[in-house]
Amino acid sequence: MAAAERHVPATPPAPVAIAVESVSKAFGAVQALVDVDVRVRAGEFLSLIGPSGCGKTTLLKIVAGLVPADRGRVSVGERIVWGPGPECSVVFQDFALLPWGTVQRNVEFGLLLRGVEAGERAERARRAIAKVGLAGFEAAYPAQLSGGMQQRVGLARALAVSPRVLLMDEPFASIDEQTRRVFQDDLLRLWSEERKTVVLVTHSMEEAIYLSDRVVVLSPRPGRVHQVLDVPLPRPREAGDVRGTAEFARLVDGLWKILRKLQ
Amino acid sequence: MVPALRAASVVGFLLLWEWAARVPISFNFPSPWATVTALLALVRSGALLEATAISLQSLLLGFGAAVALGVPAGLLMGVVRPVGRVGRVYLDLLIALPTAALVPLVILSFGINILSSAVIVFVFSAPFVTMNAYGGVRDVRPRLVEMARAFDASWWQLFSRIVLPSALPMILAGIRYALSRAFVGLIVAELLLSPFGLGRLIMTARSMFEHDRMFATVLWTLMFAGAALAAVARLEARLLRWRA
Repeated sequence: MAAAERHVPATPPAPVAIAVESVSKAFGAVQALVDVDVRVRAGEFLSLIGPSGCGKTTLLKIVAGLVPADRGRVSVGERIVWGPGPECSVVFQDFALLPWGTVQRNVEFGLLLRGVEAGERAERARRAIAKVGLAGFEAAYPAQLSGGMQQRVGLARALAVSPRVLLMDEPFASIDEQTRRVFQDDLLRLWSEERKTVVLVTHSMEEAIYLSDRVVVLSPRPGRVHQVLDVPLPRPREAGDVRGTAEFARLVDGLWKILRKLQ
Repeated sequence: MVPALRAASVVGFLLLWEWAARVPISFNFPSPWATVTALLALVRSGALLEATAISLQSLLLGFGAAVALGVPAGLLMGVVRPVGRVGRVYLDLLIALPTAALVPLVILSFGINILSSAVIVFVFSAPFVTMNAYGGVRDVRPRLVEMARAFDASWWQLFSRIVLPSALPMILAGIRYALSRAFVGLIVAELLLSPFGLGRLIMTARSMFEHDRMFATVLWTLMFAGAALAAVARLEARLLRWRA
């Protein structure tokens, strides 16, 4: 039911979780983003897609507070973003795990930095590890895990701090296809249980359509919002065979037609 | 396989040594047996342990200072980039130059005493400690720093939770290498100019043509250095268990 609520336009409309207002960013002479406006609704799953050089990762980092915008304004919930804040967690493409820490220590890391005391830290990390399906691997080191499992650790670390917003930077890009599909379904299941707002940067059209409520297409050099696509596929998608439906194929093809013109 | 090969290499070395003593390859060349006998006599007389205790003072003082000052200096160079750029030049000089040439200068400044041996040990070893600590900080994966920043880490948290553990393998490798350099510096100092400890024992035996005692002392020094290096290597393996 939670999933259905998201798609029936509620009255009053769901509060905006993230507002990106006329944001511009240049790196030296290179204009990465120009006048970007994106609004993400609370509980929404939104993807950013576009050719390389469209600034999708830069946009994600601006929302995360890791990169300052040159102009414009970003707010997450009530907070204007000046730097990293407690509502957001980031999941990185290359996992960014501490090689010297066990799974448990890695998942505790965000809690540790935020000053959560040891007992509670261990308990919350254990729960997050179980949630991503890694119970039993608490004592393993990252080097002993497969790429897919390492990213599950990255996701658990992000979830452990109980963020309202999950920012994911091509989280599945370094994971093999079979593992990726299982992981995507697990992510959808977690998302519908936890009711987080998710912003996902991806270069995979199938992934964007399969996971998202809306897909924001960015055009390159300079990065601008080119188009915003609604994905009216029914949820929960992870239970059925959504990838095999004609509607899914039609949406992916539509996205491809948009992206092809941007290359 | 490996233990057998190791044992065979030791036996082979002893046989070669024995052969060299029987030829003999030089005047009064001591056999392994004569050397071991001399070593036991030296240990029993207390002369060797006394000399070792004196050398150990210079070593601990010089090497301890090299670690205690060298690691923070390298970390500072890595964290504050301008300091790194300036400091690098001196480090390169200290590493590239024949450090033994500094021995007379050190003696001139500090006199002939244990302190000057310690200073030479320091000069021999500290640049490697600092260089590795510096390199370790520079090799920190920027992504890990970004990850910690995303959790709103403070400067101190970034340093202690990301930079320091990232640099630890290189810091420890630097310390281990610096220890072997410290032994070189110690013996160079004691042989060349400040007659104390093991170096003095070697020199005295040599001047009396007691070559078996001289060899025994050299052998002892090697075992001493080997044991110290093995201890540091064990500490390293223990601290870096996650790499296994």
